[in-house]
Amino acid sequence: MENLLDIHFLIESFPAIVSRLPITIGIAVGSLILSLFIGVFTALIKIYKVPVLSVITSIYVSFIRGTPLLVQIYLVFYGIPKIIYYLQIEYGWLQSADVNSIAPEVYALLAFSINLGAYLSETIRSAIESVDRGQFEAAKAIGMKPTQMMLQIIFPQALAVAIPNLGNMFISTIKDTSLVFIIGVVDIMGQAKILGSRGLAFFEVYIAVSIVYWILCIAVERLLVKLEKRARRYERGIAS
Amino acid sequence: MIKLENIHKYYDSHHVLKGINISVAKGEVVSILGPSGSGKSTLLRCINFLEQPTSGIVEIGGKRVDVESAGKSDIFALRTSTGMVFQQYNLFKNLTVLQNVMIGLTSVKQLKKDEAKKKSMEILERVGLSDKLSHYPAQLSGGQQQRVGIARALALNPEVLLFDEPTSSLDPELVDEVLATIRAVADTGKTMFIVTHELNFAREISDRIIFMEDGVIIEEGTPEQLFTDPKMERTKQFLSKATRNN
Repeated sequence: MENLLDIHFLIESFPAIVSRLPITIGIAVGSLILSLFIGVFTALIKIYKVPVLSVITSIYVSFIRGTPLLVQIYLVFYGIPKIIYYLQIEYGWLQSADVNSIAPEVYALLAFSINLGAYLSETIRSAIESVDRGQFEAAKAIGMKPTQMMLQIIFPQALAVAIPNLGNMFISTIKDTSLVFIIGVVDIMGQAKILGSRGLAFFEVYIAVSIVYWILCIAVERLLVKLEKRARRYERGIAS
Repeated sequence: MIKLENIHKYYDSHHVLKGINISVAKGEVVSILGPSGSGKSTLLRCINFLEQPTSGIVEIGGKRVDVESAGKSDIFALRTSTGMVFQQYNLFKNLTVLQNVMIGLTSVKQLKKDEAKKKSMEILERVGLSDKLSHYPAQLSGGQQQRVGIARALALNPEVLLFDEPTSSLDPELVDEVLATIRAVADTGKTMFIVTHELNFAREISDRIIFMEDGVIIEEGTPEQLFTDPKMERTKQFLSKATRNN
């Protein structure tokens, strides 16, 4: 009798796939953190219309949006070692860096941070600009410094506005990390591919890995709903 | 004491303030009246540099600032020696009532948290909001929000309080509680600058009234002088019309 699926193989592949979850989550969360810095920095450049940097930011965002993530990953993976090597030979810089010992995970983290940073930039900019002008004025009027104003008043309010968008982008990033196997990072997708070719049971492992992604994304969505509620707690109109 | 000398403000080629001179003694309450677009709010906002004046001199409590050469520290000095109450309240939405009042003390004056909290609670008691400490602005009525706004402005113990149409966005039945709060603050001897459309209130509370139109001061004097015997025809016209509408 012909079986559609080798259920045993499917179930047995879970532990090996799940064991790679830290790689997937690590790249996604790590690049979220780095890209938040990039996003806030570039958003402020745009808002304050910093000369030169503002143009560079526009080109960066446009380039990232206009090229496939896959290409960006290759660019980082092949480009950065070449650039480091070039700087070492031509200028004697970065002598302590050993290009061959940089783990592929590092390139993956970089590529995803650069990618997500560009998308967050626009979201963060519009979230900051959505904060009422009066909030800025009140902060200035009591003598707050720009950094104090941003950290204590503006960012918390902008975050509440931005969380749904940030969340969607983060979930996309989690799914996009499935590309990293192409540069040799064994994430959950990479592990699935390895298992699949070993057992010649690709359908089974891809079902397994899709279930893992699905559960992960549901969990993140739940977490985001909680975060958003927390960030917007001050908007409730009813006294507690 | 506060002194404004020959304050000019241009928006591009639009001349909004055309050489304003005002001198206010300590403890004096001065109201600025005038039709919309006369520049009275702009004048108030030039004092703490929410608008950058084009030229002139602002002097508060002995600190003299030529606006054309004003640096960051000058602007900081002017902002910490003034407290502003906004038409739209502008309470920090993400902070509770207590935090709104405390933040200036902890972030700007760098007071210890305990001390800042104690001070803030005293001030909130004065404006009658001790029972709302942990509420967010969205949970308060407009009148309550504006009273928090007044408490926030008072917290830094400024030389002068600037009121920018403090009751203009309020429902009519909430105006009185805010006016009562302002009156109570005036009674403590605070120097105050009030831009308002509440003529009766201005008449009652002010030591002096300034009438502005088209970026210039048309007339100034005691409330009695201006309301009963204005020298300028334009002042008379405005006050009689506006009083009728009140």
